Amino acid sequence: MTKSYRRNDGKLNMHKQRTNALLRFYHKLGSPPSFYRISGYFLKWLLLIAIGLTIWGMYDGLVLAPADYQQGDSFRIIYVHVPAAWMSMFIYGIMGVCGAIAIIWRMKMAEAVMLASAPIGAWFTFIALVTGSLWGKPMWGTWWEWDARMTSELILLFLYIGIMATYSAFSEDSRKAARMAALIAVVGVFNVVIIHYSVQWWSSIHQGSTVSLMGKQHITWDMLRPLLVMAFATKFYYGYSMLKRARIYLLETESHKRWVQDIITEKKS
Amino acid sequence: MKPFLALVKRDLTLGLRRKSQIYQPLVFQLLVVTMFPLALGSGAKTLALIAPAVIWILALLASLLTLDQIFKNDYDDGSVESYVLTSYPLPMSVMAKVLAHWLLSGLPLVLFSPIIGVLLHLPASSYGILMLSLLIGTPMFSFMGSIGSALTMSLKHGGLLLTILVMPLLTPVLIFGASAVVESSLGNSASQPLLLLSGLLILSITLIPFAAAAAIKINLE
Amino acid sequence: MPIITAQDISCQRGNFLLFKPVSFSLDFGQSLLISGPNGIGKTTVLESIAGLRGLQQGRLSFKDQDLSKFKDDWFENSLYIGHKTGNKKELSCLENLRSFLQIQGIEVSETQAEDALESVGLAGYEYQMAGSLSAGQKKRLALARLLLVKFSVWILDEPFVNLDVSGCDWLLGILDNHIKNKGILIITAHDNKTIKEKVTSELILESVGL
Repeated sequence: MTKSYRRNDGKLNMHKQRTNALLRFYHKLGSPPSFYRISGYFLKWLLLIAIGLTIWGMYDGLVLAPADYQQGDSFRIIYVHVPAAWMSMFIYGIMGVCGAIAIIWRMKMAEAVMLASAPIGAWFTFIALVTGSLWGKPMWGTWWEWDARMTSELILLFLYIGIMATYSAFSEDSRKAARMAALIAVVGVFNVVIIHYSVQWWSSIHQGSTVSLMGKQHITWDMLRPLLVMAFATKFYYGYSMLKRARIYLLETESHKRWVQDIITEKKS
Repeated sequence: MKPFLALVKRDLTLGLRRKSQIYQPLVFQLLVVTMFPLALGSGAKTLALIAPAVIWILALLASLLTLDQIFKNDYDDGSVESYVLTSYPLPMSVMAKVLAHWLLSGLPLVLFSPIIGVLLHLPASSYGILMLSLLIGTPMFSFMGSIGSALTMSLKHGGLLLTILVMPLLTPVLIFGASAVVESSLGNSASQPLLLLSGLLILSITLIPFAAAAAIKINLE
Repeated sequence: MPIITAQDISCQRGNFLLFKPVSFSLDFGQSLLISGPNGIGKTTVLESIAGLRGLQQGRLSFKDQDLSKFKDDWFENSLYIGHKTGNKKELSCLENLRSFLQIQGIEVSETQAEDALESVGLAGYEYQMAGSLSAGQKKRLALARLLLVKFSVWILDEPFVNLDVSGCDWLLGILDNHIKNKGILIITAHDNKTIKEKVTSELILESVGL
């Protein structure tokens, strides 16, 4: 159904009328004009929730949570570092799934989501690396230590850069560029797992002695709560930023289509 | 003659006539190896310590020099059409291309590695493991390179992009390959990293031809 | 029932449709000339028909089979020669001709290949590297494949380019023969007037307009 649908690009077809409501919703999201319209309702709320959660999480984490008995106040950087690191992997996973959908069913929305996610994921990876390095200074006495998590994170950043570089290398044909980038994302997702375990294996034989940034310590609820709040805050921010970018991508790549022209004339009048 | 063999034979003929693909990576290796004692001092102990890592990194870099050629030449002159426009499965043709590329550039690296080992004072006990680890590891350079080359074949200067794409994906190969040599130079058993390396090779053989075939099709669009 | 049918097919470059969707059908012994201004997508549509790339829209079928799903039969019955000749400059003419077809699973004996080279006017060049040939000779070398395959469908993109007068006459004769023998021909040839009179139908691509 998806196949016949993608050729019609937004028009109803025979198959679609026979499908149930859930599939219909899925199809609606799959068509650029409806995606643009539906996502427009969510944008403001996603941003507001993200800002609200961030303020709460930051206040809770930086002010209310008790200091760590070993690390003192410097541990508080985890409220930025850990959510960012989680997001870096979460977004890469999403890109892999969307990449597969983009290649197999050629769904334009999957391309848009994948491409919109790449810079956000890369920034989260970068933030995780920088905060990890800042945290490493008091912990290890050095800005950079080749510990397993940090090394994996660094390689992840290279993978993100590879996807974005592939897309920009084929910029004259955005559809092809998107599918090439999607392929790299899919190959990368398979590889990320292998890279992760091989790097862990490597660090276990080379430097079992270094202290891991996130050891297996007991963490109290007061310390955990802000972390979870921040994890949700970053998810909502991602939702907002990704939709915003995906919408811009759609406007750009469908600029010749009727629905985009309509939006432009609407905005003008 | 089967299409698979015909493709391997054609690529080997081309490689043997061009020659540069075979000897230039080796010259490159020698050159870089010469730089190490010049920059680091010629102490045998220091060199022996870094030898496994240097040999493996050099093998990786030397392979990267030729990876973009796997499909680029065929794309430029149009002969890629001969294996795309046929009922013979494209992943099999990718396999043939990878095999030919490895025979022309990976195998020479394996055979040449003892010379690099001697220059870097690698302990005598490690040569067997060194060649074995490269024998298992270098085909993966060609496999991963086939995806990179398929993605970049239509670009004029795709070499750097290919490096950015392929190098991070090859980190596991480098980790296991180099550590096999390190372990053997310390007198330990290298079987664990070698087994892990072999596992990766089996995964590469089964999955990568399909990914590279998909990349070729997307790139021709 | 026609052998090849195309329904409302069109191609895209970037995000734009190249030309207004077109339909055609071809039976054995029929030929189609695709024409239109530069940049309209003649090469693109030929590549799509040949199977190098996908169609943006429409349906293409061969012997009632949808080509987006079943291509094997099509590949075993169609030969495409495009702008790029597919010759390797480090291989001799003979090696080029034979290896190209072998990779497609077509076995050609040395004498057959020599005969083909002779009829395209490359006698004496059998062991010469393709890199040393002139552009016209390279084209002839690629066209020699036509003589060695028994495919019913020929898809040729500007085959007359680079050919001299005698080469064009030779090619016209070959194409004539192919159609007379119940073959199918899909061709673009902006520089040749004679072919226009020989084909059974012509398809003119028109731009979509914005």
